[in-house]
Amino acid sequence: MSVTQQIKLTDRTDAGDGPRLLVEARDLERKFKSYHAVRGVSFQCYAGEVFGLLGPNGAGKTTTIRMLTTILKPTSGTARIAGHDVATEAEAVRRSIGVLPENAGVYGRLTGREAIRYAGRLYSLPPDELEPRIVEIADALELTKHLDRLTDTYSKGMKQKVNVARALIHNPPVVFLDEPTSGLDVFSAHSVRDFVLRFKAEGRCVILSTHMMEEAERLCDRVAIIGGGRIRAEGRLAELKAETGKDLEEIFMTMVGQSIVT
Amino acid sequence: MMRVAWAWMRGAGGDRTAQSRSHETGGWIRAVYWKETLEAFRDRRSLLVLIVLPALIMPVVTLGIPYLEQRQQHMIRTTTPQVAVEGVAPNLIHLAYTSKLITPVHTGDVNKALKARRVLAVLELPRNFETLVARDAQPHVGLLYDASDPESVAARARVVDLISRYSQSVVARRLIARHINPRDLLPVVLDERNVATQRQLSGLLLASLLPFFIAMWAVVGGMSLAVDQAAGEKERGTLESLLVTPPTREAIVVGKFLSVLTASVGAVIVVVIAMMVSLRWGYPYVLHTSQKLDVSLPVGTAIIMLAVAVLFAALMSGVQLALSIYAKSPREAQQFITPLYFVTVLPALAVQYITEWQGATWAYLLPVLNTFFGFRELLLGTTNWGHLLLASVSSAFYAALAVELAIILMSRESVIFRT
Repeated sequence: MSVTQQIKLTDRTDAGDGPRLLVEARDLERKFKSYHAVRGVSFQCYAGEVFGLLGPNGAGKTTTIRMLTTILKPTSGTARIAGHDVATEAEAVRRSIGVLPENAGVYGRLTGREAIRYAGRLYSLPPDELEPRIVEIADALELTKHLDRLTDTYSKGMKQKVNVARALIHNPPVVFLDEPTSGLDVFSAHSVRDFVLRFKAEGRCVILSTHMMEEAERLCDRVAIIGGGRIRAEGRLAELKAETGKDLEEIFMTMVGQSIVT
Repeated sequence: MMRVAWAWMRGAGGDRTAQSRSHETGGWIRAVYWKETLEAFRDRRSLLVLIVLPALIMPVVTLGIPYLEQRQQHMIRTTTPQVAVEGVAPNLIHLAYTSKLITPVHTGDVNKALKARRVLAVLELPRNFETLVARDAQPHVGLLYDASDPESVAARARVVDLISRYSQSVVARRLIARHINPRDLLPVVLDERNVATQRQLSGLLLASLLPFFIAMWAVVGGMSLAVDQAAGEKERGTLESLLVTPPTREAIVVGKFLSVLTASVGAVIVVVIAMMVSLRWGYPYVLHTSQKLDVSLPVGTAIIMLAVAVLFAALMSGVQLALSIYAKSPREAQQFITPLYFVTVLPALAVQYITEWQGATWAYLLPVLNTFFGFRELLLGTTNWGHLLLASVSSAFYAALAVELAIILMSRESVIFRT
């Protein structure tokens, strides 16, 4: 059975009484020597949901994502992705996730097709599945015309599309996007936001890290506001706004302001 | 590295899960190797270092330097140097002219003339030099020359030759006057014969040149790839994307290592071929000699040399990759790797001056040095198979250690996110 067959999107959306729980973090902590980057972060994310991690630079968003994507080991706490423990089943977790890291680069001396094919081979996709998948995903991302050009000649937005394609080549149920629109022009950023909504429509669970309120309001079903390594507030946007009587930016400023003080 | 090898052995042994696992690991290694090698071949700098530079530099180095040396020697041999002579000695001056050893000249300030290179040596004769000689006295003559100037050193040799010939003619005259045959002073005549074949002499030449160039290009050939594949990935922001994919750190590092090794071995092969071709076909034309160098190696020797060179290149590639993984940036990686060049080139140069170590078994356990001792034995035709086996096994062990170090570093968060 191939990797893409093992992970079917329908398995998630139709499972049980409600959407399938795909990301579960419990009391995640991470220390770097004397610096406490993440303190007791807990949240859950379901299939067909976009969960926003909101926070300023240095708040602990990227460290949290790195723990969930198995690159960093938690100092304490646990996390499960698609039912697999990030600490003890790292490889199974990696097969279940697609990751677009912050400031991700491209392999400039590969063509778009070669770069995506490389990602597919890393996920052990057989050639008869991989090649049609490259065509399919390039078509969806409007990359087909440029697929055989070296990525060094691509615009920043196109490079980001190649990275999105690399992250999705194995059809993962969970997608991590760390500041995906950072540094992109308006059109490219708009295009990336459309992908996020498409991932959600496809039933994927999307963890989106951002510090842009407008982006969070437009894309996220639920958000967690992180400051000083802690979750300061978490919930559906409408609920947060109703509880506090403030808009998201005001809530963010209040919570992050608290984290800076504490 | 050991784990990859163990997984492969279990797969080969018939364990189905292990077979599937080792098949997948092989696929990861091939994927990483393919991508890294493809990128390297599309990089003009890599191609320049791997193919163009060795192909251009080797003929210049192997033929250019001997050509310049030969040109200087020819000039020294065919030019009669001007030597200032202070004092009067008609017979000596006559001999100087007839033998064409030196051109005697008169000049004012001899020291100034020597410094200004108007003359290449100064011969200081005492007053009444030839009268003293005729009276069987032993007059002292002075010789000034500049040891830092090869032409002055050559002029000195000619003056020494002139004085020797003059002394011999005086001795012959004196002996004849005493009714003694001058040949009686030379009871034994030495006839020298060189028994070394042309191939042995060529082997000596290769033994002094090849290890140096193999050492140099094993490091230089893989350097840009090693820097690009680890420190470069960190800088470009592609490493994190790679590490969140299923391949183990072992598979990633082994794939990258094999790519660096390919470049390193490729550069070594290009260098050796360029050198052999230059020596074989360029030598007689550039150096104006009828002497042909027999630099062809027997196929067996060439294959064994290649195997030894591959193990040495594997050690260099492993160390370079480990240093590059540890480095924060490509610039830092280059700073780390550059000393490795000296660590390898110095033993390659030193090996011909520490021949007394060549018989010691322990010398074939020393990393780097063992390879060059092995090369020397192969090229001089004095191969000790025990030594060669020891050198090969120990080099393979050190290479595996270097790759293991690279894997350990690639698995450390503090190294991957070192800023």
